Amino acid sequence: MKPWDPLDRAALVLGLVSIASAVFVFASGELEIVRVQVAGVVVASVLGLLAIAAGWLESSALAFAAGVLFLLAGVVQLVLLAGGSGSFLGGNSSTFSLWLGLGVGLIAIGMVPRPELAEESPSD
Amino acid sequence: MASTEYAPDTDNPTDTDNPTDTGDTARPVSFLPSRIDRAVIAVVRVGVGLLWLQNLGWKTPPNFGKGDPPGGLYLSTTYAVSHEVLHPYALLVNQVVLPNFTFFAWMVLLVEASLGAFLTFGLATRFWALVGMAQTVVIMLSVLNAPNEWIWSYLLMVLVHAALFATAAGRYAGLDGVLRPACLPSQSWLPRLLVRVS
Repeated sequence: MKPWDPLDRAALVLGLVSIASAVFVFASGELEIVRVQVAGVVVASVLGLLAIAAGWLESSALAFAAGVLFLLAGVVQLVLLAGGSGSFLGGNSSTFSLWLGLGVGLIAIGMVPRPELAEESPSD
Repeated sequence: MASTEYAPDTDNPTDTDNPTDTGDTARPVSFLPSRIDRAVIAVVRVGVGLLWLQNLGWKTPPNFGKGDPPGGLYLSTTYAVSHEVLHPYALLVNQVVLPNFTFFAWMVLLVEASLGAFLTFGLATRFWALVGMAQTVVIMLSVLNAPNEWIWSYLLMVLVHAALFATAAGRYAGLDGVLRPACLPSQSWLPRLLVRVS
């Protein structure tokens, strides 16, 4: 099994977190930490899969792209809320915050300078 | 995310440039030696991040509760005047914040959204822990004397953010833990900035 670069592993984990956040579609009341409805599940799943692909394929560019798309989704969510009308994404400010974190995180992973393949110390 | 990249021996990034430092043996050494300690700090950080994140849910643009009857963030803000905690702060809210409420409400939303985002994922954690302390003080000055408030809620929030700052909590299962080692050798301003705020 290949050793994961921590940056790729982080992209993968962020993708999994995004997909896991879809579970809040079933939550209500105090347990609704993030508001996610059907359109939000689609966004979280598709972009989450993109982030997982970025980690799996060790692609900085893909991680960056996934981050930009998350930020874009967050901004759209915020603009819809600012418009005051019912948001077709079905989220609220907490959804914006979650996608902001995923977006900035993936963009940072995509931008960070990658160290040369390590002169790894094979410790046991 | 990162489970093995921890704080170097020193917190000062410039020390890594120093050839007289511990040299080739400068292997990262964890500030928190126990895996359980690190896991607990990570859980606390994520929990605090989710606290901010969930409490954005009732801060709803574009009115933020300004209306008849008032509610949400607007009502909370008026408590600073109607249930005064500190006179100069009440004056500031009455003279500056409430007349420009929409602007300040958006600022609150953006700051708290960033707190939720950055603390949950452990990015630039030390900086955002400080922001969290400041924001908690602002909230405390607004609502502390309102009905059903408990001062220790806010003192505990300040203290937990202080703990996140002191332990550099984003380095444990957070993005700081994976980004920091990659940024340490860089001379560019953005990676250097990330090193300083993580």
